[in-house]
Amino acid sequence: MKKRSLMLLASLMLVLSVFLAACSGDDSADGGKDKDKGKDKGKDNEKTEEGSGDNAAELDFPLAVSNDAEAMEDGEMTVAMVAGEPFEGTLNRNFYSGTYDAEILSYFDEGLLDTDGDYLITNEGAATYELSEDNKTLTLKIKDGVKWHDGEPVKTSDLLYSYQLLGHPDYAGNRYDFIIENVVGMPEYHEGKTKEISGIEIINDQEMKFTYTEASPSILSGFWSYATPRHYVGDVMTGETTIKDLESSDKIRVNPIGFGPYKIDKIVPGESVLYSRNDDYWRGKPALKSIVQKVVSPATIVESVKKGDIDLATIPADQYLTVKDVDNIELLAQVDYAYTYIGFKQGKWDAKKKENVTDPDAKMASKELRQAMWYAMDNATIGEKLYHGLRFPGTSLIIPVFKSFHDESVEGRMFDPEKAKQLLDDAGFEDKDGDGFREDQNGEKLVINFASMSGGETAEPIAKAYMQNWADIGLKVELVDGRLHDFNAFYDMVENDDPKIDIYQGAWGTGSDPDPSGLYGRTASFNYTRYTSEKNDELLKAGTSEKAFDLEYRKDIYNQWQELMYEDVPVAPTVYRYALEAANKRVVNYSIEPGKESDRYKWGVAE
Amino acid sequence: MVKFIFRRLLVMIPQLFLLSLIIFVLAKQMPGDAVTGAFMGNPNVTPEQVEKIREQYGLNDPWYVQYGAWVGKAVKGDLGQSYTHKQPVTSLLAGRVANTITLSLFVLIVSYAVAIPLGILAGRWSDTWVDKLIVTYNYFSFATPLFVFALLMLFVFGFILGWFPTGGSVDIRIESGTFAQFMSKLHHLVLPGLSGALLATFGTIQYLRNDIIDTKLKDFVKTARSKGVPEGKVYTRHILRNSLLPIAAFLGYEITGLIGGSIFLEVIFSYPGLGQLFIQSITGRDFTVVTAIVMISGAAVIVGTMLSDVILSAIDPRIRIE
Amino acid sequence: MVTVNQKELIAKEKANNPSLLKTIWREIRHDKLALVSLVLLLGIIITAYSSPLFIDQEQLQRVNFLETWEKPSETHLLGTDDGGRDVFGQLLLGTRNSFTIGLSVTLIAGLFGLTIGLIAGYFGGFVDNIIMRIIDFLMVLPSLMFIIVFIVIVPDYSVFTFVLMMSAFAWFGKARLIRSKGLAERELDYINASKTLGTPSWKIMVFEMFPNLSSLVIVNMTLTLAVNIGLETSLTFLGFGLPASTPSLGTLIAFATNPDIVQNKWWVWLPASLLILVMMLCINYIGQAVKRASDARQRLA
Repeated sequence: MKKRSLMLLASLMLVLSVFLAACSGDDSADGGKDKDKGKDKGKDNEKTEEGSGDNAAELDFPLAVSNDAEAMEDGEMTVAMVAGEPFEGTLNRNFYSGTYDAEILSYFDEGLLDTDGDYLITNEGAATYELSEDNKTLTLKIKDGVKWHDGEPVKTSDLLYSYQLLGHPDYAGNRYDFIIENVVGMPEYHEGKTKEISGIEIINDQEMKFTYTEASPSILSGFWSYATPRHYVGDVMTGETTIKDLESSDKIRVNPIGFGPYKIDKIVPGESVLYSRNDDYWRGKPALKSIVQKVVSPATIVESVKKGDIDLATIPADQYLTVKDVDNIELLAQVDYAYTYIGFKQGKWDAKKKENVTDPDAKMASKELRQAMWYAMDNATIGEKLYHGLRFPGTSLIIPVFKSFHDESVEGRMFDPEKAKQLLDDAGFEDKDGDGFREDQNGEKLVINFASMSGGETAEPIAKAYMQNWADIGLKVELVDGRLHDFNAFYDMVENDDPKIDIYQGAWGTGSDPDPSGLYGRTASFNYTRYTSEKNDELLKAGTSEKAFDLEYRKDIYNQWQELMYEDVPVAPTVYRYALEAANKRVVNYSIEPGKESDRYKWGVAE
Repeated sequence: MVKFIFRRLLVMIPQLFLLSLIIFVLAKQMPGDAVTGAFMGNPNVTPEQVEKIREQYGLNDPWYVQYGAWVGKAVKGDLGQSYTHKQPVTSLLAGRVANTITLSLFVLIVSYAVAIPLGILAGRWSDTWVDKLIVTYNYFSFATPLFVFALLMLFVFGFILGWFPTGGSVDIRIESGTFAQFMSKLHHLVLPGLSGALLATFGTIQYLRNDIIDTKLKDFVKTARSKGVPEGKVYTRHILRNSLLPIAAFLGYEITGLIGGSIFLEVIFSYPGLGQLFIQSITGRDFTVVTAIVMISGAAVIVGTMLSDVILSAIDPRIRIE
Repeated sequence: MVTVNQKELIAKEKANNPSLLKTIWREIRHDKLALVSLVLLLGIIITAYSSPLFIDQEQLQRVNFLETWEKPSETHLLGTDDGGRDVFGQLLLGTRNSFTIGLSVTLIAGLFGLTIGLIAGYFGGFVDNIIMRIIDFLMVLPSLMFIIVFIVIVPDYSVFTFVLMMSAFAWFGKARLIRSKGLAERELDYINASKTLGTPSWKIMVFEMFPNLSSLVIVNMTLTLAVNIGLETSLTFLGFGLPASTPSLGTLIAFATNPDIVQNKWWVWLPASLLILVMMLCINYIGQAVKRASDARQRLA
């Protein structure tokens, strides 16, 4: 579930970037602070700029800090939330929506079940689980000694409470999804027909049972194991409080509690959070005495890191060159749970039938046209020149992070304008009137309308570059409304199948669940291209069937699916990205490897 | 006077009402709403759930229904619920308003502290090098866009010299309610405050200088001089008294400028106030918050201009308030 | 009833007011700073406006990732930006766009404000009352916020709509100013004389009142020209400026949001910043001279 926040990340990043562009300004900083070092640095910079193209291929970042010294007793750490705007401060797993709120939550609250490197639930956390023979019943047992920050033990009724909140008819967050709905009795509860969720059975304070309507491997990656301290925040079920009051309550915004390694001491709204060590943490004594987590503008982050003010921070990709030679830090990175893509609109969402309807006469209906447009995009250059290798061409719709499912044999369509032209010629897209642009198969003028989002400095040159690429193979592509759109305006058009749009550039966070049906299924409203096919339906269904608990089977299914996507090109993945983090060299035991979340309490600083 | 204030307050009601109607309708016209894209974080959410949430926030109702509901609550002091922040707008704004007021007051005080002496100097010694220097500074301050100047200030004093913090409003490690915390707040205020203040001096300096130059030539000053009143006294007794008072009267009008300026200062210095929140709410389509912030700004301007009129009539009985 | 007396009076008023332009020119000639400013400003403007003659816009806007962030050199006088586009060319086009915008807004808002102000001032009474109530209300609007909201709403966002939006919020201050002067003016003899002569109202406003207020208008407009150019760049900085495909001084300055660029890639943002400063100073110095020209006591000439 941490992964969900990652997806959020992607979407939020887009929103933020608009802002960042604005705020960032300032900083500029490196300036002459270290005058003596200035000289060599200048030289280095030049070198890297020239050579960055070659370097790109060799990018190789560690996942963990190399300092292996003992963590200092009672150390203090400062962590940055790199944001151009204040964090929202809805500090509860069921209600939060911002990425930064998620970052704060992870210090003082954790799921009862831990997850491994594949984001599947394990028995290493504060609770253990067992799945029944038919994969439909999950029994969860809370370990001894797991206590909320106020000293109360964490009970099964607290986890039940989370489900009662998520499914509540008044719940207005985005976490009531099909995995929650899959719990037996949940739809009835959600509609307000009953007060009980029949599929959740409390055996005693430490043991409970979840029964699901359908067996699906998604349970293993999407199981909601975040408990809510019923005794502390107040009980909605008894009428003690309401969902609306709860969301805005001080118990969530001012002094929330969890059972994680650190406790919240103080919050300056929107700005910073002060944590102190939770001596009763169930895994053991956390290494740090206190932590300050504060919002730092993306513009100033490199300077702050350089100054040593900040121990941990994410670094925006466009500042890689500046940060790479800072010598008091170490850079960590892993491939992010997201990809950018070009979507080809091929139909409409039928709100009545609740499914996507593909229109065979759509402007983008030709498979060859879509394939050619993919071949025409020079993503390698964008990744190298604009992102210094921190982004690289995407190949398939299941990203490499899902090691078990990403199909290496699908190589994507690398920049090859000749092949693109060939494809178009063969498919009958030819320039018949000699204006330099191709007409469609029927000889009619073809103008493709392209929507792209504003935000970040790179948005505009990238959109421009793609349009040039397409013009080079003879396709006339124009920006919708002649400009880039902001996040809301963009998705408003894309979601509602605005006829103004033929193709668009979007990005998806993939979440922790490799299952793509939420984004590409026939009934998925997020399937913005409205692409459908029988084969697609079949494969997606098989991927989450009970049989798919068998890893090999699932793998095979998803390989077939990736090949189908490569062939049909409902969307063309453009780039994958690295998420870059900087850690001060005094930081120890820190790792960003998936599945190492449980070591958070060991993070520390050395002398 | 009391009657006047009362009447002005009465006029304020329809003004605010109209303002709320306009901004509410406009805000609704922005493409998309707070729910657009908010679910991209979780592709497993069903479209029904998304619709249900729009329904719950009343986002599907026609605008007049929404506006009616909003006004009904607003007169009771409830400005609605923020979608993004999941809390009542009033409590969300409470903290931000304080920050913005602090910042604006600081800007106002510093700008007067800089502008009044400079204006007097320039007026008294007009056409000397002092005057030329001051006038040049004044043009520069007028010609430099606020954001460029603020960025440079941050760069130089925040990073190169490291004298001031580069973001936020207070150091969280310092205990609340102590003097140290007050100092920390002040320390965080200096950079954004100075940036704003140094560019807000144009009007005051310009006015003072011109007015003093004008007054110098007036008969009553000449008479005083001819009577042998020392030059210093001519200024303190006769000229300044006349020229300084109207400055107080402009105070109210300055508020409009301060509100615009605070957007830039807050965004650049990561200072959580109304301006920053406004931009955030525009991008997030958090309609209720947008409406509330515009209303507050409008009210501030109304109250400010009223204050100006009151001061003006208090110091100059010739100006009658109708 | 037309009397010779009245006609004389009118003639006298007019004579008292020799061509304002001439006075301004005389004033500028006598103020070296203003003269230099005028020459410099004209130079900048002429270069900027003639730039399309020697710059291929299409070519200039073409992204080339192989040449990003190049330092100033012979091929690229001011280096290149993040899309490998020539900064010097963008600076010229940007100046042209920013200046056009500033000027159009000033003119449109000026004209509108002037008309409304004249009407209110000339007629006074009931008409004035209504107009002033409306203006009072408009003055309350936090204009920057409203402009931002409008920019988000307008689907077809171009230089033209941008100018209209800015103008919509720029005229009321002017109207108020003109109106108060107009009210004073209307009590003067020459207006009364014309009225008794039966001259139509619009003629009086346009041919008699306006010339007497023109100096005020010009002074005010030169100042607002500077302000409007600044506003355009500021909005761009906040992310609500012109479409990214329209080069403006604001888009160039907005590059300065990244520390690395501020320090190591000064050629993108610094020239534009300086240019804005220079242009605004020039406009101000000229404006100052114009102002003096309108006030006999302060004239240098």
